[in-house]
Parts: sequence; structure tokens; C-alpha cells
Amino acid sequence: MEFDTGRSQAVLLTPRQRWSSILSALLIVVGLAMGINMRDESIGRSTTYSNVEAGITAHYPARWLLDEAGDYVLRVRDMSQRGFNTVIEVITLPVGPETSERNLLDGLTLRRAQTLIDYAVLGYDNYILPDETAAVSMSYSFVSRDTGPLLQGASTIVAGLDILTFSRGQALIISFRADADIFQQELRTLHRFIDGLEY
Amino acid sequence: MSQSFRDLLSTEHQAAPNIVPVWRRLVSQLLACALLALAVVLIWELLHPEPTQELGRLITLGIAAVPPLIWLAAAVAPEYRVLRSRRRLVGVAVVSALVASALGSPVVQEFFRIVQWLPHESAFGRIVGYTLTAGMVDAGLKLLVLRAIVVPNELRVRGDSIAYAMASAVGYSFFLNLELIFSVQPSPGIAAIYVLANYVIQFASAMFIAIGISESFFSDALPPVLPMNVLLAAISTGIISSVYTGVMGGALTTQGSADRPLFGIGFLIIALFVFCGITYFLYHVSERREREAYFGGGGNGV
Repeated sequence: MEFDTGRSQAVLLTPRQRWSSILSALLIVVGLAMGINMRDESIGRSTTYSNVEAGITAHYPARWLLDEAGDYVLRVRDMSQRGFNTVIEVITLPVGPETSERNLLDGLTLRRAQTLIDYAVLGYDNYILPDETAAVSMSYSFVSRDTGPLLQGASTIVAGLDILTFSRGQALIISFRADADIFQQELRTLHRFIDGLEY
Repeated sequence: MSQSFRDLLSTEHQAAPNIVPVWRRLVSQLLACALLALAVVLIWELLHPEPTQELGRLITLGIAAVPPLIWLAAAVAPEYRVLRSRRRLVGVAVVSALVASALGSPVVQEFFRIVQWLPHESAFGRIVGYTLTAGMVDAGLKLLVLRAIVVPNELRVRGDSIAYAMASAVGYSFFLNLELIFSVQPSPGIAAIYVLANYVIQFASAMFIAIGISESFFSDALPPVLPMNVLLAAISTGIISSVYTGVMGGALTTQGSADRPLFGIGFLIIALFVFCGITYFLYHVSERREREAYFGGGGNGV
């Protein structure tokens, strides 16, 4: 109901009105802080994986899909992603005294170059694991396409990171792959995974 | 339609001459948007038309443009025919759309990443989660736009807060709808539900903010009243977002799970008018209190 009290348009705010604006801003800040906390708690929730044979215990994100059927110790995927599912793989390889990190990474590169589209190594770097163990990392990219040729959809550029270290006579390779657009923000998941990894 | 609502529609123009009455036009807009969305969903569910990809894209873009077009016709155009027009309606809608583009959507989608974790929460967790993320962001930004452009200089009657909040809801939801249509590329039947969902969510949220603003700036209400309405706005977003996605999703069977668009559109139309009714009730009570206080205090009710 348009009930007009004939107020002036140039109204000065009363103290109550000023306080209501301040309290509203405070409420929104507090609400958003609680939202951030809820998000971190939900995303950070994890499930424990243990493989006595491989000597590996890992904590992977609770809602990711676990797979042990391939030529890896474990693979976990975020099936809620649209397009390419972010994936973490853990592979162990036996090594001899002469084997170097670069040999193993080059072997991975040769294998992947035959199966992945437009696979390219972007660089190598040193990586320090949470227990101060030295490791080597290799970053790469490739193009992911739906396997069904009749399926419609654009290809995705995938960024990957391998972290390789030696332990008890075997090489441990942690492979992380995600859509290149969200790779940087997804790296937090990899870091949490590595923090909880025991081998 | 209740007696008091009929009274409101018939008397609001007489009470404040040269100001466009807001409620009748608001209800017309809601009705038109709801009926058009329902018609599109029914056509796609019953007749299963299969337009070409280009035509389908054009139809979905047309569906996204329906709420702002109806709003322009029902709320903005009449302002040009009165002396005391609401001059900043279009400005509020445009700024709200820009704010949704620059802040609202990036914060909700990329910072809070709600797609990754909220759908997996329990029903109560989803309501709380949507309230504390999308609800707070949307309500906060719409309040910010109204506070910056409208309050206090553009507020002459209580209906102004409703009209400007509606402009903000239309602009904000228009950007979200465009973004969704370009990213998901749904069929027109599903696009109509998405568009109505964003419209209902932003409408409910904006109406609570409008009530808070009008209480604060016309009744000089206690300081917690506006924040309480902002909280209700965020909660309304939480409830509608989580329940509508739950209602839309069909039961999981051995043949998979199919969407239930008729359940979705039915829930949204009910929610639209329930939240409109709640807002109208709060508005009516406040307005009547103000009128009684004014005449009781010897005013002449200009």
C-alpha cells in the first residue's frame, strides 16, 4: 500500500539505521566465515586407505572413487567434476642401484606419449615431501577426449604433476591430473593427500 | 485473494498519487513468469519437440530474457507515465547484474566451489550450506547495491523498497540465468526450470531485504531488524536451492535416475507464491501499523 507520509527525499540516517547497516555487514561477514569453515571441513573430510602388501597408507578425499584394478597401487577420482575427473594415482616400481629418477620419468614420458593425445613435458623440479625427503617432480599436459567417438563434447586440456621419490628399494610415484583450468586450486587436494601419505 | 489484499490493490493508488502502485504489478509479473515457465515445461514434457541446435539455443536465450522483459513492461514502463517516478529501477537492475557477474558468481562457484561438496551433504547440511555461502553472498550483494543506489534518497513510500528490491532480483537472476544457459546448454524444457529457479531464489531473498529496509527506514526499527531480514533472505535461498534440487532429482532405480521436471516446476511455483504471501503479510502489517500511528498522531496522511 503506497502510504505517503510526505517525508523529504533528502533523509538523514538515524543512529538506528546506521547500526542496522553495520550489524548487517557483520552478519554477512560472520556467515561467510562459517561458510568457509563448512566448505573446508567438507572438502577436507577423508577416507583411509591401507595396503599392507605395498606398505602404503593414504587418506584420500571422502567422496572420491577408489580404484585398485589397474597397474597402480591405488587411484582415486573426483567423480563430481564436470568434464575431466581430477585424479590421484600412486604407483610403485622396483628399482636397482643404478636407476635414477630421470630414467623413470623418461620411461613414463615414453609410455604416455603413445597413449595420450598431445602429451608434452612442461618441466622438472625438486620437491620436498612433508617428512623432508627429497623428491623430483615432473609437470606435463595432454588433451583428454571422450572415448566414445559418437559422444559430443569439446576436448579438455589436462595438466599433470608426477612426484617421484625412492623408498626401501622401490620408487614411489604420485601422479596428479586435473583440468588445466582448475589445476592450481585442485593442488590443495594433492598437498593434503601427500601430507597424509605413509609409505 | 484475501479481503485485505483486495483492499490493498484497490486503495494503494489512491493513497499516494503519482506513484506507481507496486503490488498489483509485482503479482502480475510473478504470475506471468510462472505460467510461461510452466507452459514451456509442459510443451517439452508432453510434445517432446526437437528443434535444431541453433533454434534450441535461441529459445533458451528467449526464456532467460522473459523475466526482465516482463519486468520492463509491467514495472518500468508505467514509471514513465507518472510524475513521481522511480528513476533508478533500470540502474539498480543493471548494477545488480554486473555485481552478480563480477562478484556473486565467481565467489559462489570458484571460491566456495559449492558444486564439489554441497550436493553430497545431508538435506539439513545442504540448507545450512547454501544459506552460509550462496545465500549470504547474494543477500549481501543485493543489500549493498540497494544501500548504495537507493537508500535513503530514493525511498519515499514503503513500496519503493519492494520495487527496487525486485529490480535488483531481476538483474541479479538475469546474469545467473545467462551464465547457466551458456555453460550448461540445457534443453528449453530444463532451461525454463533453471530460469524460474534463479528468479524465485533471488525474488524471495530480495523481498526479505526490502522488508528489512522499509522497516529500518520508515519505522526506524531496532538495529537487529535489518540483519534479521538479511538472515531470512539467506535462509530462503538455502531452503529453495536445496529443496528444489532434491525435488527435481528422481528416485534411483536399476534403470538409472531421471529428472522430474514437473515436480521441480510445481515446487518453484508454490515457493514463489508462498514467499510472495509471506512478504506481503509482513509488508501489510508494517504499513497498517505506520498508518495507525500516523493518523493517531494527528497526521493528515498526504
